[in-house]
Amino acid sequence: MTKTIRVLIVDDHPMVAEGLQSILESYDDIEVVGSLSNGREAVERAADLAPDVILMDLNMPDLGGLSATEILLERAPATRIIILTMHDSPEYISSALNHGAMGYILKDVPTDEIKQAIDAVIQGNKYLCTGAKGSLKPKDGNAREALTNREQTILLELAQGKSNKEVAQRLDISVRTVETHRKNIKRKLDISSTAGLTRYALEYGMLQGTGAGL
Amino acid sequence: MRLLPPLIRPNYAQKLSLLATLPLIIAVAAIAVLVAYQSRALAEREIQALEKQLLEAKKAELRNYVTQARNGFSFIYGRAHPDDEAAKTQVTQILSSMIYGTDGFFFVYDYDGTNLVSPRQTEFINQNWSGLTDSNGVPVVDEFIRLARGGAGWHSFMWQKPSTGKPAQMVAYVVGLQDWQWAVGTGVFIDDVLASVATARAEVEVRVQRTFVYIGAIALTALIVVFASGMILNIRERRLADAKLKELTQRVFDTQEEERGRVARELHDGISQLLVGVRFTLDNARRRMARGDHDNALAPLDKGLDHLGTAIFEVRRISRDLRPAVLDDLGLGPALKALTEDFATRTGIDTDFTTVVFSNRLDQDSKIALYRIAQEALTNVERHSGASHVTVDLRGHSKGATLRITDNGSGLPKRQDRVGSGIGLRNMQERIEQLDGTLNILPSTGTRGGTVIQARLPLSHLLPPGNEFN
Repeated sequence: MTKTIRVLIVDDHPMVAEGLQSILESYDDIEVVGSLSNGREAVERAADLAPDVILMDLNMPDLGGLSATEILLERAPATRIIILTMHDSPEYISSALNHGAMGYILKDVPTDEIKQAIDAVIQGNKYLCTGAKGSLKPKDGNAREALTNREQTILLELAQGKSNKEVAQRLDISVRTVETHRKNIKRKLDISSTAGLTRYALEYGMLQGTGAGL
Repeated sequence: MRLLPPLIRPNYAQKLSLLATLPLIIAVAAIAVLVAYQSRALAEREIQALEKQLLEAKKAELRNYVTQARNGFSFIYGRAHPDDEAAKTQVTQILSSMIYGTDGFFFVYDYDGTNLVSPRQTEFINQNWSGLTDSNGVPVVDEFIRLARGGAGWHSFMWQKPSTGKPAQMVAYVVGLQDWQWAVGTGVFIDDVLASVATARAEVEVRVQRTFVYIGAIALTALIVVFASGMILNIRERRLADAKLKELTQRVFDTQEEERGRVARELHDGISQLLVGVRFTLDNARRRMARGDHDNALAPLDKGLDHLGTAIFEVRRISRDLRPAVLDDLGLGPALKALTEDFATRTGIDTDFTTVVFSNRLDQDSKIALYRIAQEALTNVERHSGASHVTVDLRGHSKGATLRITDNGSGLPKRQDRVGSGIGLRNMQERIEQLDGTLNILPSTGTRGGTVIQARLPLSHLLPPGNEFN
């Protein structure tokens, strides 16, 4: 028997969380280290619980699954996060992958598939479920990859002339993480300079909406 | 409950009547001033002419009197020597007796200023009156003598009226008897002339004031008519608006009821029946297991699970039809992307969606409004346009956000033919106007015709940049 996999469940529906926990505990190589009810709790307690895999719901009060995923991965990049949801729209899958999730499965799949997904991400593979009715396919689409919430926040800070260090302090993350985000933003927007980022944010009405002005 | 709008806020009709009455008031005032000025000027000219005429008549009369008097004593004066005192006395007697009317009399002064004849004021006789002036300082007797020396002439001055004892304006005609060094004359009071002129002036003033009153009354009537019609228009408009609102409310209720009915039917016919089926299969499995028939329990359990899957799928579909969760969770961009992809799959119409990369930056109302507008526009494209290509574009910019749906179809039907789709267009318009935005429906600039529907929202609907916790 290999080492047990530490799994954290984050879901605000008690019945789902309970059912999921009882099913997962029936597998010998899985240990459920906790069951939390929203993204903020997950962000606060993940370091203590040290899960290998997090099963994350999307819609939760306080802090949603996508934002939580992004923040958790900034702090513990090795954590594998699987989005577990009722939503079968391809938009959610692209968005989940974009925010760093390794897996995406629907709640109504056979329980075996959940186990398959956990095994897959532990081995470093992405796992996207086939969907109950086969409609679930990640669409690459012609559109550019969207900015994540975190990237949008950072773009705004940078566009207002803040340095990497200032942004890092403000968001309580490392300078290296800011740099990574910055690189991703520039890649996604196909912009090479910081001035270009400011111009972009201005042109598309991002800064104007602040009400604070520049 | 709908609150009544405050009455004092000027609406369109009130503004219109205000606009109509303001020039009216100005015009009436100008007319009144002009009329007053013109009639005053005209009357003044007439009065002056009358005054002159009356005075001329008086003067002519005076000259006649003096000529008559002179004829009366010329047989004496003509033959008399300049120092013939008897003749002089005779003439003074004749002149003294020639009194006429209530105030008429003749007077005689010699060129030294001594009064010789004054039948109405005998205290004047034999006294020297040179240097006498009237109450206004006009020389009286000296002027008589000057005129007499020159032959004859008129003089006007203030004099005490014998009948009333009060000073009044008098005109006198004087002739000179050069042999005797006498100034002989008579005068009449012209206060009656002046009085009638003053009366005429007063009458004119009264007439002008009456004209003012008439014009004012006419203007007031006109104003009341304008205001009344404004009010009537206003009330009618409000009644129409009320009717429209009622219709709108009814439409909202109808739509709501229809939607509720549909959802209720779907829940009852679809989900309920499925769940009942699941319950049967579970019950079946349970009874088999209770009998110890474990092998045959698996089949109904699998069937139950399968049915549950279908039920979940159905719920998901109903929920998405009601309101796509993508819109709430991921924002308008992803929601429109999903919408256009579904649309393309369903209709086979080539559909492009373009946007900038930001998501979730619009407030809730705007997201829903723009989503519904896109939905309605795509429905119209599918039903009416016959288009083969649609582009949906959404972007934020420095003035707000714009959603544009462009198709290459047959374009909009003429206004009178838009019976069916009219309600949809009106709904779009109402939705966007409620958010202070604008909706434009234009013919596409492309060579092949088509339609552009463009919805704009102001910057106020763009949310402040989110922190990571939303």
